[in-house]
Amino acid sequence: MKKSGFITLILALACFTAQADPPRLVIGAVYVGSVNDYGYNRSFHDALAQVARDLPGVKVLEAENVPESATAEGIMEGMIQQGARLIFPTSFGYAASARKVAKRHKDVAFEYAGDGDASRNFGVFFGSTQIAWYPMGVAAGRMTKTNKLGFVVGMPIGYALGNVNAFQMGARSVNKKVQTVVVVTGGWADKAKEAGAANALMDQGCDVVGMHVDSPATIIQTVEARGGMSIGFQSTEARALAPKGWITGLGFTWAPFFTKVARDVMAGKFRGEAVYQGLGGMVAIAPFGPSVSADVQRQVNEAAQKIIKGFNPFTGPIKDNRGNLVLPPGASIGSDQMGSFDWYAEGIIGKVR
Amino acid sequence: MSETALRPILRPILRHTLVAGAALALFSAILLVAGKNPLQAAADSFRSMASVYGFSELLVRMTPLILTAVAVALPSRLGLINVGGEGQLYMGAWMATAGALWFPPLPRWAMLPLVAAMGFLGGALWAAIPGILRAAKLVNETIATLLLNYVAPLIVSYSIFGPWKALGSSAYPESPAYPDAALLPTFFETRVHGGLILALLALLAYWLLVDKTRWGLQMRAIGGNAEAAQRLGIPVAMFLVAALALGGGMAGLAGMGEAMGVHGRLRQGLSPGFGFTGFLIAWLAGGRPLGILFMAFLFAIITAAGDTLQITQGLPFSVVNILLAMILFIVLARRPGASR
Amino acid sequence: MMTPLALGVLAGAVLSGTSLLYATLGETLVERSGIVNLGLEGVLLMGASVGFSVTAVTGNPWIGLAAAALTGGLANALFGWLVVLRKANQLASGLAMMFFGFGLSALVGAPHVGAVIVGLPKWRPAWLAALPWVSASTLFNYDLLTWLALPVALLVWWVLFKTRWGLGVRAVGESPGAAYASGRNPAVLQFQALGFGGVLAGLAGAHLSLSLTLTWAEYMTAGRGFIAIALVIFSKWNPLRAVAGALLFGGAEALQLQLQARGSLISPFILDMMPYVLTLLVLLAWGGSRRLAAPAGLGRTFFGSE
Repeated sequence: MKKSGFITLILALACFTAQADPPRLVIGAVYVGSVNDYGYNRSFHDALAQVARDLPGVKVLEAENVPESATAEGIMEGMIQQGARLIFPTSFGYAASARKVAKRHKDVAFEYAGDGDASRNFGVFFGSTQIAWYPMGVAAGRMTKTNKLGFVVGMPIGYALGNVNAFQMGARSVNKKVQTVVVVTGGWADKAKEAGAANALMDQGCDVVGMHVDSPATIIQTVEARGGMSIGFQSTEARALAPKGWITGLGFTWAPFFTKVARDVMAGKFRGEAVYQGLGGMVAIAPFGPSVSADVQRQVNEAAQKIIKGFNPFTGPIKDNRGNLVLPPGASIGSDQMGSFDWYAEGIIGKVR
Repeated sequence: MSETALRPILRPILRHTLVAGAALALFSAILLVAGKNPLQAAADSFRSMASVYGFSELLVRMTPLILTAVAVALPSRLGLINVGGEGQLYMGAWMATAGALWFPPLPRWAMLPLVAAMGFLGGALWAAIPGILRAAKLVNETIATLLLNYVAPLIVSYSIFGPWKALGSSAYPESPAYPDAALLPTFFETRVHGGLILALLALLAYWLLVDKTRWGLQMRAIGGNAEAAQRLGIPVAMFLVAALALGGGMAGLAGMGEAMGVHGRLRQGLSPGFGFTGFLIAWLAGGRPLGILFMAFLFAIITAAGDTLQITQGLPFSVVNILLAMILFIVLARRPGASR
Repeated sequence: MMTPLALGVLAGAVLSGTSLLYATLGETLVERSGIVNLGLEGVLLMGASVGFSVTAVTGNPWIGLAAAALTGGLANALFGWLVVLRKANQLASGLAMMFFGFGLSALVGAPHVGAVIVGLPKWRPAWLAALPWVSASTLFNYDLLTWLALPVALLVWWVLFKTRWGLGVRAVGESPGAAYASGRNPAVLQFQALGFGGVLAGLAGAHLSLSLTLTWAEYMTAGRGFIAIALVIFSKWNPLRAVAGALLFGGAEALQLQLQARGSLISPFILDMMPYVLTLLVLLAWGGSRRLAAPAGLGRTFFGSE
């Protein structure tokens, strides 16, 4: 009796396992948060959904809320077992796991959102948001009335510090008196602390708040409730969260790059390389909010155009917020070194450690 | 063999099968309500675990669980309740990291035993705190171990955001990579690492200690009636501290294994609750060594199924915790009593 | 206008302390009846998730709040079925509840992540807004749960210490056998305490998702359930002390964020240790004295008349 039940189960499994019409390419995507977060993870999810729409026969496997630990390694192995031939480890902390798995599976292509070396089956890409934050700073510098900007950072990694630095430098380019106050929560998605951090910034008199966390939702809504203005990050959709205080924001447009990579893998001519694109490439500026005057919009767009044409704000001389010259005249930080910041620019209130 | 001789073997198997079947049925019902296909999920999980790599992943998963279960089972022989495996695990990883970063460069044969000893020591010292407090009749060990669970990961976080932060290109909060000599060897191109051997040895040592030595008898005496044991001349206070410290050391080894065998650095989120899972395993196994082995394997299968659910069904990994809870609910409801 | 540090910390302490207080009050009630629910973290998560999901679907935060309260009560009833009726081990059952809460909250909340909801409305009486500093801060701009936090603490205290029912609950917590002998039904009283406590825990979770953050994210409680368990001990199983404790523990989190906004950095991790270390120190200070306020029957299983 028990035995026959077991056989029935095996048969049922076999039926389900035999699938018709295998997909031409299975893509695996590993996310550190949830894909409905109005933020970072959503941007990848949307891009991959578009790839699946544009290229027939592409199937996408997604894993959300995967911790930046060895768990990620198991998830990627699992995806490969389920047939994935192209993997997107989309969070910075997946570096070690992704590289290990890539070494074991030379026939699987990896596109890792981060930095470091590329190899035959391991590509590295990212949107250079750091420089793109410069025009956001221009917007904030023009909109602030208190001359105090706020910035909530999840984890104080180099990329986040670069975002804050460009933000302050852009703001300063249009407003000499402006300061930026930084609060670090210590996690990419600690919601209660994000609310507390936004409140602390408002308590300090900051009236424009930017952020680098997984989902801007809690911060934007907290700031909105207290009558402040916000500059969004990670998704151009976040405007809905702040009908009054939304200024503008940065989002990612990965789809063109992802489509190209998927085509390459299907054609068997994938080769990993390091691809960094900023404004005009993988990074886009979100629509402006209703309170932003035409004049401010023009100035922000001008700054953005300047950057698309090659202007790099991280060109010396640059001093940090303790008065040290961190970049001598003429030296600059290229878009492949955006993770290397370990200082805050002049005018930022905050400590790296 | 006659039918009566088989009964003691068949009955537990039948009982376990029934429990697992009932839990699976309840979980399937929940999946159906959520609009998912439980049979497909089972098929995917089965397919992924049936491969060599999938099976090796189960061994990787069960390694820390065996150790954290022993960390609970050992003190429980004296009636001590150690719910602090999670914290002891983190302190083990922390101390082992301190060793790996501070010791001068040593060859592997010297480095590995040293970091393992440091890992053991980290967990043991952390567990000795509640042990001493309990032996001095100051604070109940259940509460103290529980509270210390949450302090240990914060010490780890403090260290990797501060003094131990790797000075790399990204300023990511993690310790520098350990020297190669401090990394546990891995086997057969899989993630199975030397920690598994340590875990099996620990399980063996636990069995020998409690079943084959005089200390094991004395521990049982204390667990039965501490006052009577004291009158018999057994140094009860010392046993209390030693048992908790030994248990904590086991959990510390689990942390060392995760750090040196899997991650290669000290990081946040080293353990997704191994300490708590270990408590449940030890409890379900009634502290029996083979039971711990079996239950650790079962829990490894369940968490592996969670990964598959996440990849193929688009369900959050956490959902598999429902299956875990269903099994526990059924066992808990079926086994009345304040037994551990 | 800048808010002085002390006011900023106080304001932050009230906001993050509200959910801590409700959770602590709920667990206090439960523990007074002699039961420890280590799965409080899971109950909070279910409250947060169900509250948010129902609000996202119905568009009405009050329905969400009610659903969260109901969820908390039901979760504790399930726990009660295990530990009161089936006499199951309380610690293992609590951990099982924790895992159940992780899983169920993730499953229920997953389709609603990213939903934009209308949170619980907040209001501030005009005469309070006229006080200096107040209008520019979050002080006194509270939702119903925060406004009612103090009255609810008083109510729980009154119920526990001034009513016949409370006397019964405490008697069961001290000695189920003696309570049974004096004609009380321990199981009924424990179930009532669990239900009431679960409702409070559900509200605690809902405050996080429906007011403080207006989002649902997996494991968003981030250990608050365990802080509340520590807080129960810290406040000696007394609902009124719990108010001060919740402000203290909530204030620790607010302090480090407020200090950062003022340009100084003390490690958040050191401050995060405070609830646990302080509780341990308080326990040490009592020195294991038998007169400490812990219910004597806490964690024991009552098998009948004895």
